[in-house]
Amino acid sequence: MGQVSLRGIRKSYGTVDVIKGVDLEVQDGEFMVFVGPSGCGKSTTLRMIAGLESITAGELWIDGDRANQMRPSDRGTAMVFQSYALYPHMTVAENMGFALRMAGVAKPERARQVGRAAEILRITELLARFPRELSGGQRQRVAIGRAIVRKPRVFLFDEPLSNLDASLRVDMRIELTRLHAELGATMIYVTHDQVEAMTMGDRIALFHQGRIAQLGAPLELYNRPATEFVASFLGAPRINLIDRPGAAAPAAHQALWQRLASAAGGSVQRLGVRPEHLQVLPSGEGVPATIVLAEHLGDCSILHVRVDGIGSLLNVKVASTGARGSSGEAIGLAVEGGAVLAFDAQQGRVA
Amino acid sequence: MHTHRLAPWAAYTVVGVGALIMLAPFWFMFVFATHSRTDIFSLPPPLVFGHDFAANLGILTSHLPFWRNLGISLYVALASTAFTLLFCSMGGYAFAMFEFRFKDALFALVMGTMLVPSFMNMIPTFMIMDALGWIDQPRALFIPGAANAFGIFLMRQFVGSSIPPELVEAARMDGCGELGIYWRIVLPLLRPALGTLGLITFIASWNNFIGPLIVMRSPEMYTLPLALRALQSPVDTEWGALMTGSAIATIPLLLLFLASSRQLISGLTTGAVK
Repeated sequence: MGQVSLRGIRKSYGTVDVIKGVDLEVQDGEFMVFVGPSGCGKSTTLRMIAGLESITAGELWIDGDRANQMRPSDRGTAMVFQSYALYPHMTVAENMGFALRMAGVAKPERARQVGRAAEILRITELLARFPRELSGGQRQRVAIGRAIVRKPRVFLFDEPLSNLDASLRVDMRIELTRLHAELGATMIYVTHDQVEAMTMGDRIALFHQGRIAQLGAPLELYNRPATEFVASFLGAPRINLIDRPGAAAPAAHQALWQRLASAAGGSVQRLGVRPEHLQVLPSGEGVPATIVLAEHLGDCSILHVRVDGIGSLLNVKVASTGARGSSGEAIGLAVEGGAVLAFDAQQGRVA
Repeated sequence: MHTHRLAPWAAYTVVGVGALIMLAPFWFMFVFATHSRTDIFSLPPPLVFGHDFAANLGILTSHLPFWRNLGISLYVALASTAFTLLFCSMGGYAFAMFEFRFKDALFALVMGTMLVPSFMNMIPTFMIMDALGWIDQPRALFIPGAANAFGIFLMRQFVGSSIPPELVEAARMDGCGELGIYWRIVLPLLRPALGTLGLITFIASWNNFIGPLIVMRSPEMYTLPLALRALQSPVDTEWGALMTGSAIATIPLLLLFLASSRQLISGLTTGAVK
């Protein structure tokens, strides 16, 4: 009841390949997140599942039925759009019941199902209003309600929270997670927001240049990224990448590499260490470094640190109690044991 | 450089005089409609209403099937409006929302028809209507212009600026057929543009003189502009009756305009500055 399988899916516009072969099995009841930078193909893939874009090559199966040629309304999918896409000239109840009306469901039955969906989303008092009379968060609920009423096998979300302000986004995130648990339906959720991806998904498919760069549980992607791209896409502030120093590199660069590279073999070209795995020591201990900018966020502080010989600034995340840092201060850096990722010349992870 | 600022009373004077000049012909039309031919040509001409309206109406109806002409005008204008709204909204929606082969070329062709001077169309129009056997038939007036370039362009712009594609996609996922999407989703949202195009079309049809002149042959099938023109002759024109007919012909438009001037003006700018 809600299994989606993509086999070698491709999409081309003329000679431009947008999706270059995606294979994916979404399990029944799973919350699958498609995440990636803009233009990576995550939305296009979702729209192909919905039937709003044609599939150039490959096969799409929904619950054991080949769905490539099915009409969007026959696929058992419902979509929630980023812009909500509510019909402006219909009331909330008419919006939510439109699909049932199209399917020829009688009026009393329609009202009953719309009422039940409204109860789940706690929008019963809005049913008689028009979309223009609703706030952004309420519109979003109605859009989700319209999807629920159809009792789809698969819910498709296309960046549904990106038009909401920050605090509302957090609320809706929790709401959607609750809804997923309550309905038990399969959900595929497209976002470019890594926090949404990390917190909501059972699994994440991280898209990059029309392919899935890595597929797995959120923490798996975070802790064991397959490539440099995955490592640097997930995590804020970004992971620090340190190139293998040449023979003439400054001592500080060499020293940092030595500390990180204890486990790394000869094929390692670059090492990655997350900001929370770097530790700040008093000046004179560890690898010598200078604070260029300190951002004190209250619960923690982000230090942007220069190490002689390394082109970009390193991000260091320290708990607030240790946040004495100020610009220009000299410090020492140390690395938490075992928290280093090693990448080869092809940007794949080797350790 | 220093800027001139007109004092408020000066501005009102300029606008007031302008308004008087614009309104004078209308005033005299209504005044003359109530005077006999000899009164009209007396010196000074009558400036206020007289008592000969009924007599003028009598002359008018004896010379012309006036009420029938009025009915035909109304019928042609309403049919023209309905057909134009239907076909232009369909065409504009298709050009704005769908991708199909030769779309750009077809749209260029539609726009190109606006470049052809209307005088060039007169003889071909007559020949085509004659070949179809539509001479002396009202449909010769409202069918040919039903899908016109201006209307299609107006609708395309409005669809492009005010109907997001996701709305159409949402309806598609909700199981609505393409014709259903047009009828249930697109058309209701086009209402402001439909109002504007409807008004423009109705007024143009109501005032159309050349069109009926080409295709209408018998006086019973004349529309009002043509019928009133038939009242004039070089030697013996019933000017009072002519003014009465003109005044009556103006009334529907005046009512229409009073009811919808706000819509007409706002509709012409919506889509342009959105």
